[in-house]
Parts: sequence; C-alpha cells; structure tokens
Amino acid sequence: MDQLRELIDYIARSLVDEPDDVRVDAIDGERAVILELTVAPSDLGKVIGKDGRTARAMRTLLAATSARMRRRAVLEILE
Amino acid sequence: MDEHDHDKEAPQSLGGALLVDDDEPIDDEDDDVLEEDGKADYAKEVLEGILDRMDLEARVRIREDEERIVLDVTGEDAGRAIGKKGQTLDALQFLVNKVVNRFPEGRRYIVVDSGDYRDRHDKNLVNLARREAKRALEQGRTITLQPMPARDRRLIHLSLAKFDGVTTKSNGEGLGRRIQIIPSNGSRGGGGGGGRRRRR
Repeated sequence: MDQLRELIDYIARSLVDEPDDVRVDAIDGERAVILELTVAPSDLGKVIGKDGRTARAMRTLLAATSARMRRRAVLEILE
Repeated sequence: MDEHDHDKEAPQSLGGALLVDDDEPIDDEDDDVLEEDGKADYAKEVLEGILDRMDLEARVRIREDEERIVLDVTGEDAGRAIGKKGQTLDALQFLVNKVVNRFPEGRRYIVVDSGDYRDRHDKNLVNLARREAKRALEQGRTITLQPMPARDRRLIHLSLAKFDGVTTKSNGEGLGRRIQIIPSNGSRGGGGGGGRRRRR
C-alpha cells in the first residue's frame, strides 16, 4: 500500500511546478485502496492532462502495480 | 510549401510524427536538436524512478538518435513493463514525455521501448492495414477496425495513404475512436456485379 502511494507521489511530484504541495493519502478499504492525490490548484491540469490522459496513464501504472499485489487501487484527484 | 506532403512518407521514417494526434498537422518547427541537453539522462532517471516504484526488475539503456530519445527497458520484468497490448509501455512513455517536456523550450520526443517491441508492433499494424484494405476492396465495403490509440491510427492512415482504391478516416470519440477503411467510388474490385451495399 505504501508502495502504491509512493508510486503516485513520485510521478505527481515529477509532473508539477509545486512538488512540495503534492500529497497522497492512502485509504485502505475492504475492496480497494483509495489513493487521494492533492496538488496545488495551479498544478491540477498537469496531473489530469488533456482529456484526462495524464490521470489515465497514472491509473494504468497503478493498476499494473497493484495487480501484482492482488489489490485493487483507485486514484482520486481531489480538487 | 505544403507540409502535408510529409504525411506520405514511408512508415519507417515517421519518427516524432507519431506523437501527435492523427488529425493534427505535423509540426516540424521545433526540431532543432541539441546534442547535449541532458534530456536523455533526465528521461532515463525519471523512467527508472517509476519502474523502481512499480517494483519491476528492469534496466534502462539510452538509444539516442538525432530526432528522438529511445529508452530501452530490458531485464527480468521487461514483459511486465510492456503490459497487455503495450498499455503499460505507452503509459510510461506518455508520462516520461510529460515530465521531461514540462517546459516549452527544447522539447524532445521520447520513446519508451523494450527490445524491438515498437518495431514489431508497427510492422504488425502496417500488415493489418494492408490486409484489411485488400478486404475492403475485394468486398466493396467499408471496414471498421478496432479502437486504437492516436499514434496507431496515425500509422495506419499513413501506411494506406498510397494504397490505391481506399481512403481512411477515424470515427468515434476518445478511447473508442476507430479507423474506417473505405473503398473509393468507381474502383470496385473486379469480378461481377455483386457490389450490393449493406448497411450496418
């Protein structure tokens, strides 16, 4: 779970202008881990991307990683 | 003066053109390549950082040529880095490009590859395109392909640009966007009058 958090944290910090404002909270649910990503409001577009493509790419990597851990992980970007 | 003539180049020499959406004109303006801009090393570092946190056992080598940076993923978990239908590799490539090209100046096109995966994938696509174009001609009807990412659709549009008797277009939205291969009017394949058009 920590690993999934760190994966998203690393990617998000690499993408934004304000890496210090990146926060990822992991909420361990019964059926899935929910990762809540918070970034500076000015960086929202950078983690979402055109038509949500950046968010989707992060979700693809998250899914590939969590599948090996036999966990389901959901990435939520908080606005 | 018309840049669109470049669209008809052979697929092998497409290079950076595949990064853009298949409906957008190719922008060749920013190809002033700096040999030692440090972007290749930076891209490698970012990719290794992600692979590491995905818990993948893999190494990254740089294969750089004048127009693009190719990052080659090898090692025990290379297959996992490719993923089903190359989805993981595409996501890695997309994100590494986003990170490295965060700033508008000195953009570089970065390809994330594993062995000859991209090459084989592209050849398979071109073969599929030709096969389906022949079928569209023979049967005198439009053939719709599976949904594909923009890059793959672009490759198919280009590879059929010089294929006589068919035109191609993309239909649908977003992830569901598919290519249609349409036989041109009047060039129906020989062999009798069975050219009945079926809808649906």
